[in-house]
Order: sequence, then C-alpha cells, then structure tokens
Amino acid sequence: MNENNNNIILEVKNLKLYFPIRQGLIQRVVGYVQAVNGVSFTLRDGEVLGLVGESGCGKTTTGRTLLRLYDPTAGEIWYHRISGERINLANISQRKMKPLRREMRMIFQDPFSSLNPRLTVKDIISEPLEIHGEARGRKAEKRVAELMEAVGLNPTLMRRYPHEFSGGQRQRIGLARTLSLNPRLVIADEPVSALDVSVQAQVLNLLQDLRERLGLTLIFIAHDLSVVEHISDRIAVMYVGKIVEMAETRTLLSQPLHPYTEALLSSIPPADPDIKPDRIRLQGEVPSPARPPSGCIFHPRCHYAKPECSQQEPQLQESVPGHFVSCHFAQELSLKGVKA
Amino acid sequence: MLDENLDAAVINLGNSDVDTEHHEGYFQLVWRRFRRSPISIIGAIMVLVLIMLALFAEFFSPTPVAGVDLKNTLIPPQKIHFIDEDGKFHLRPFVYNYVYDIDPTTFKVNWKEDTSKRYTINFFVHGSDYKILWIIPSDWHLYGVEEGGTIYLLGTDKLGRDLFGKACEAGRISLSMSLFGTIISVLVGAVLGIASGYYGGWVDNVLQRFTEFVAAFPSLPLWMALAAIVPKTADSFTIFIIMSCIFALLSWTILAREVRGKVLSLRETDFILAAKEMGASDVRIIFRHLFPNTLSHVIVILTLTIPNVILAESFLSFLGIGITEPLISWGLMMRNTQDIQTLGQNPWILAPIAFIVTAVLGFNFLGDGLRDAADPYATK
Ligand SMILES: Nc1ncnc2c1ncn2[C@@H]1O[C@H](COP(=O)(O)OP(=O)(O)OP(=O)(O)O)[C@@H](O)[C@H]1O
Ligand code: SF4
Ligand SMILES: [Mg+2]
Repeated sequence: MNENNNNIILEVKNLKLYFPIRQGLIQRVVGYVQAVNGVSFTLRDGEVLGLVGESGCGKTTTGRTLLRLYDPTAGEIWYHRISGERINLANISQRKMKPLRREMRMIFQDPFSSLNPRLTVKDIISEPLEIHGEARGRKAEKRVAELMEAVGLNPTLMRRYPHEFSGGQRQRIGLARTLSLNPRLVIADEPVSALDVSVQAQVLNLLQDLRERLGLTLIFIAHDLSVVEHISDRIAVMYVGKIVEMAETRTLLSQPLHPYTEALLSSIPPADPDIKPDRIRLQGEVPSPARPPSGCIFHPRCHYAKPECSQQEPQLQESVPGHFVSCHFAQELSLKGVKA
Repeated sequence: MLDENLDAAVINLGNSDVDTEHHEGYFQLVWRRFRRSPISIIGAIMVLVLIMLALFAEFFSPTPVAGVDLKNTLIPPQKIHFIDEDGKFHLRPFVYNYVYDIDPTTFKVNWKEDTSKRYTINFFVHGSDYKILWIIPSDWHLYGVEEGGTIYLLGTDKLGRDLFGKACEAGRISLSMSLFGTIISVLVGAVLGIASGYYGGWVDNVLQRFTEFVAAFPSLPLWMALAAIVPKTADSFTIFIIMSCIFALLSWTILAREVRGKVLSLRETDFILAAKEMGASDVRIIFRHLFPNTLSHVIVILTLTIPNVILAESFLSFLGIGITEPLISWGLMMRNTQDIQTLGQNPWILAPIAFIVTAVLGFNFLGDGLRDAADPYATK
C-alpha cells in the first residue's frame, strides 16, 4: 500500500458517528443511533467510489461526517492534499477545515430543499466564491455564467429564483455551486434519486462527463446498484452503519462475496426483459441502527445464516486482493452475481 | 416528462441574450397569494385607513384636535342630511346644529335638531392652522361647515372635543405604541429564538428555561404592577417608552418560541447544511440564510401581536395606569365612559371602541392573510 501512497486522496479508518437519543425533561441521553459504525476505506485520486445501501443504512451520514458537517464520534479521516500534506479531518477545528472545504464539496440529495429559496441562482452559485474570497461582483457573475453553461443551464436565467426551475434544473444549479471552486473531491449524495426517471439519466451523464473533464474524485452515494454500476470504479456496499463488501465494480457485480450484495444484485432488473429475474427477497426490515443485531448485523435477514452468525461479528477482510468482505463464510458460499 | 422538456428547452435556448420572462422574487410571490384572499385585503385596508387617520388627524378633524370647547360639550353625533324639513332634496349633504332643553322633572338633556338653518358640508376647507406630519404648515381640512355651525360626526366628549378627530389623534399613540412595543418584543424574541434554535445545546436549555420562567408570570397583574410604578411626573416620551417596553413583555416569549421552532426546523434543512458545507460562518448563515427565511413568520407574528398590545393598552389606560394626559390613546378616551351616568345619557362617547375593534380585526385579518401567503413555496 505504501508505494502508491501519493496516489491516495482519502483514508478513512474506523469512522463512527453516533447520534445521541435524548429523552425526558432534562434531555438525558438514553442511547445512540449508530448511524456510522466503523467505516474504513481508502480512496485513490481520480477514482469513483460508489456507496450503496438501503435507505437508513447511514450513507448520507457517512458523507456528511467525511466533510465534517457532523463531528465524528470516533475514527480518523486522513485527507491527502496535493502538496502531500496529510490532515486528519476528524479532529481539526472548523476554522482549519474551512480552507479544505473548497477542495472537498458535496452534492445534496434533495434539489428542492438544498437551495435557499430566497436567493437568486446567481447568489446561490456564487456564494462559495464569496465565502472563500475568490470573486465578487462582475467577476463572480462571469464565473457563474461559465458554470451555468458547463452544467447545461442558460446563463441568462441567473437572476431567477430556484422555484422557477424544475427538479433536474435545480440539481444542475446545485452541481454548478459544487463545482464553483474547482474541487478535487466531490461527495454526491444520491444526486438523482429525487428526480424524475426521465431526467435521472441526463443528470448522471452530465455528472460523468464533468467528472472526466475535471478529473474529479467522486464518492457517489446511491441506494440502488443500477445507478452506480456505470459510473463507479469501485463499489462499497453499506448495511446498518458498516461497509459489508467493497471491490472493483466488475468483480462485485459478477462475483459478490456477501449475501447482502447478492440480494441487492438480484433486484436489478435484467437488461433482457425475457429473462425472468431471480429475485432474492429479503425478509423483514432493515434493523434500527439504534439497536443493531448481535454478531453479524445481517444475520436476521441472511439466507445463509448459521448459529454462530448471531454470536460472532465478522470483520471486513481482504478476502481476495482488492476485494473486502465481512462475512464468516465468504470463502465457502458461492453466490450469484450478474453478468457485467 | 415536463421536467425533461424543460431541461431540453433550457439547453436549446442557447445564447439568446435576454431573459424575457419576468422573474418573481419572494415578496412578489407572497403578494400574489395575499391578493387572492379578500379578507386579508380588507384587513390591510382597515389598517391602512386607521394609519392614515392617525397620521393626518388634524386634516380629518374639522376642529382643532388640541384644546377644549366648553360651549359644545357632550353633543350627540350630528346626522348627515340630504333631505330638508320640507322634503326637498339637496345634492350636497348638510347638517343641522343641535339645541337642547332640559326636562324640568328629570333634568334629562334632550337634544333637538335646529332645522331653521342648514349647514352645508364643504370639502377641503380652510380652518384652524396645524402642521402636516409636524412639519408642513397647513390649514386644510377634509370637511367642515361654515361659521356658526358645527359638525361632530361622532359627537363630542365632556370637554367639547370632537370624538372623531380625537379618536384619530389617539390612534397615533395607540398604534405607534403597540407597533413599537411589538417591535421590541420581536427584536428580543427573534434574537433569543435564533440563538436558542441555532446553537441548541446548553444555550437553548438556558434560554428556554428563562423564557418559560418569564412566561409563567401572570401577565395582567405583572403589567399593572409595572405600570403602577411608572412615575406620574415623568414626561410623556418617557412614559411612552416605558409603556411600550411593558407591552413588549407580553409577547416576546411567544415570539421567541415561534422563532426557535422555525429555526430548529430550518437548521436541519439542506440549504443550511449546504451553507456550512461551503464554509460559511455562523454570522453568514444566520443573517443570509436563517433570518430571511424566518422573517416572514416574524412579520406574521408581529401583525398578530399588535392587536393584543392594542387591547392591553386600552385596558391599562382605561384603568388609569397606562397612558395619561396630555397624551391621548383610545384606551384613555374610553376612560370617560367609566361614569355610568354619563355613559347612560351620552352613549356616543363609546365611539372609540369602533376604532379599537377596527384595529384589532384589521390586524388579525391582515395577519391571517400574511400567514397563508408567507410560505409561497409550500404548495409547489
Ligand atoms: N440528525 C440525526 N439525528 C438522529 N438520527 C439521525 C440523524 N440523521 C440520521 N439519523 C439516523 O441515522 C440513520 C442513518 O441515516 P442516513 O440518513 O445516513 O441514511 P441513508 O443511508 O442516507 O438513507 P437514505 O437512503 O434514506 O438517504 C437513520 O436511522 C437515521 O434515522
Ligand atoms: S456472517 Fe453469516 S449472517 Fe452474516 S452475511 Fe455471512 S452468512 Fe450471512
Ligand atoms: Mg441519504
């Protein structure tokens, strides 16, 4: 790992974020929502990592914690600057974090709530420029026009308010805002899941196009493998606050090692409509991260579970080089993938 | 599907240089929604009329608003006539002066119209001198009658003052004091509410407990006690300020809670998070993102608080512990009605009630309309 150290942009080690659950008159802490519970991964410069999992498994929280919108409960987030400097984002002050914010940006899931309704598009897109003292007035306006063009919006609309735009257009506005400071790393939190199916592909293509042109490193969050499989170099599958499997996209799709990944794969509609999908139905609900199951968190829903699964917790291990999985029986099970 | 077409349209628009369609900001949207509700328009008109009457009281009053006229005490409202004694119609309205006789047994005053002389009502007449808005000298009055006649649309009080003109003038104190008191309470409430909601944690805890503590006082006895300790010798301006602050006590706790709730819900919205993500400072987040988005609610609460303060002012002044002479407010005018006998014989001295009711209803209608209009994005 050491030899390509200078190729790494982000190293996350055992990241945890617990939301306290408060109750009663004096708001006593009665428990914790273990939204992110020991997430570790390494991200290479220029790579696209897909982060996939069902709703509520902690993807958004992971993304936000990485950018220090939440203060992590434990763990390390090593960010490698271009200069080679390594900074642990997990415990620096917000003041020290500020200059880094121009390099690491986020795209929000909901294009309706993530734009301040009281500001014009120009004010929205130029806000990061203002905050970081990059450009004001005329200069900012020019930059806004460039950005709007880059995301496929007509710059003459910059004096309009967000409510005058459709969902897809709003997400483009959000994208322009994200790109305004030429970031290195972008965390895209389900950037298309709130959009009409017909627009999803457009925005996805735009994102992919921009990524290639600008050489962005991207963490792409989605709850559906079919959204990320085309854009991602690698995919990490998350379940109840943990990464349960992580591998190159092709490998993960064709040779999944974790039963949860297999179930997710089986729910992708096949390209050929004649093939009857062989869906593995997951029983029950995603367990609450406030009370995660003992042993393997997936055991209540796992078709392959054995008694020891509820006793012992499997660790995320590199089962095959580059293929991480956390399952006691990863080596023994032969799971069904899809043809990549 | 629509979405897709729009997207395509935007891209295809290419580089046409002008954005021809108009774009509406927040306030235009609010106005458009507000306009659609007749009741809020009525409320707005009621409030506007009262404000105009108060600002230009001298203009609307045919007699000088200051001073007394002991020749014309307790005259009932004069009726406006179009048809004279002989059944002849006159295009221009006129009034008759009142004469009275006293019932020799009951000593009851009987007012009768003296139909021997008609006094035609003239508009835009020259009369007593005054200054428009305390600056521009003028002697114009909206209406009046020629020398020798009187025109008291709402009658006069026991010092012979025209109740209509006086009520217009009293509106100055009643309205400005309730507005001023409400603004103080809004400032305090908004600052504490935003601090409480935005910072959360122990700041929120301390502020919330403090708010509850203040809100737990029974407000009526508290105001009365506070009003009672205002030195009677203080000058009018001091009394005005102190009374305003006392009324501010009425509402800041409600306001602080409302704003806190709004800020709490906003704090978790994505655009606030997005501002943090950009690296915006707390000051920037509060003033550029939080405050503008709570402002409309603050204005709504402000509008709905004013009538409460107007009522409170009337009440305290009625009891004689609010505004005192030489200042005049609606509540103070009502003080004259405390004497049952005077009231029984001269029921028109209740006229200021009409102003109070108009103000309370007007602000409530207005506030309700604003509340419905304040969130123009909700139905989108
Ligand atoms: N501010 C918060 N306070 C308390 N609990 C929270 C908070 N935000 C999220 N959670 C909880 O943490 C868990 C993970 O939420 P998160 O939003 O990260 O999931 P997600 O994978 O992004 O889901 P989705 O696909 O619905 O966006 C959920 O159980 C959620 O209820
Ligand atoms: S450890 Fe057991 S329960 Fe967990 S995924 Fe593997 S087989 Fe299923
Ligand atoms: Mg999410």
